[in-house]
Amino acid sequence: MYQLNDQQIDLILADLHQRGIETESMRMNLLDHICILIENHLEEDGDFGQFYATTIRSFYKEELRELEDEARVLMALNKGHLLLSRNQFFLLLFVLLIGPFITYDLVWMFTTGPGWFIPAEIWVSTIVFALYPLLVLLVLFLTPDRFDPLIPHKAKILLGGRSMIKVMAMDTAQQ
Amino acid sequence: MTYSPELLKGTLKTIVLKLLTDNKKMYGYEITQKVKELTRDKIQITEGALYPTLHALEADGLVTTEVEYIGKRVRKYYSLSPTGKTATREKLKELTNFMDTMIALLEIKPKMA
Repeated sequence: MYQLNDQQIDLILADLHQRGIETESMRMNLLDHICILIENHLEEDGDFGQFYATTIRSFYKEELRELEDEARVLMALNKGHLLLSRNQFFLLLFVLLIGPFITYDLVWMFTTGPGWFIPAEIWVSTIVFALYPLLVLLVLFLTPDRFDPLIPHKAKILLGGRSMIKVMAMDTAQQ
Repeated sequence: MTYSPELLKGTLKTIVLKLLTDNKKMYGYEITQKVKELTRDKIQITEGALYPTLHALEADGLVTTEVEYIGKRVRKYYSLSPTGKTATREKLKELTNFMDTMIALLEIKPKMA
């Protein structure tokens, strides 16, 4: 039976943190689980580093932080929330951004009667406050995955629940 | 033979709650081992599924926790809260009902003992 020392435990904790496990409770659970696996399955003269690397790899599909993302999704299920794909999220942003301007312009058209004259300042404000941000959104939306660390193409976006907004880098962990 | 993750996904909360009913308090690793033992390795709960589920159960108030310090490590024990006991009964009832429906739907004849 392998005996872990304090230095190795600190190393595991630091690694868990570095891999994106931010919740202390989750970190402690994983630390205990990993320690038990190492102590039960690693020979006394075994290679700690190699065994740890293999063990931690078996916990996730792509990244360890999937566990925390999955926990967030499960916790949000009983609360008011929206779980959106990247496309749905951008569509929502486009609608939220352009919606007020279209509404304003439509109201203007209907209230001013025939002629449909829209003053220049309305056009200018629409271009400055709606079209320019829309272009920025479009650029973000079309950015290739490798250049987009914020919202990768496979990301899920959780709105509401326990967090206002949370971008999760990939499909959440499954059994 | 182990069962596919898709089959197990919807039942994990119920499995954990039932184990906590029978065993009073358990920690994560213990739960995975107990499931393996009871199912003769047919169901192997992964860490990636178990810990998010335990955290969600805790956030929903269905389980309570207590910690034990083992040197620099902390072991977190989970046990059912009063709400959790009620939820377990409801979930078991729902799952039993679901299994009966599936048996009828797929026309599966249960094996006689």
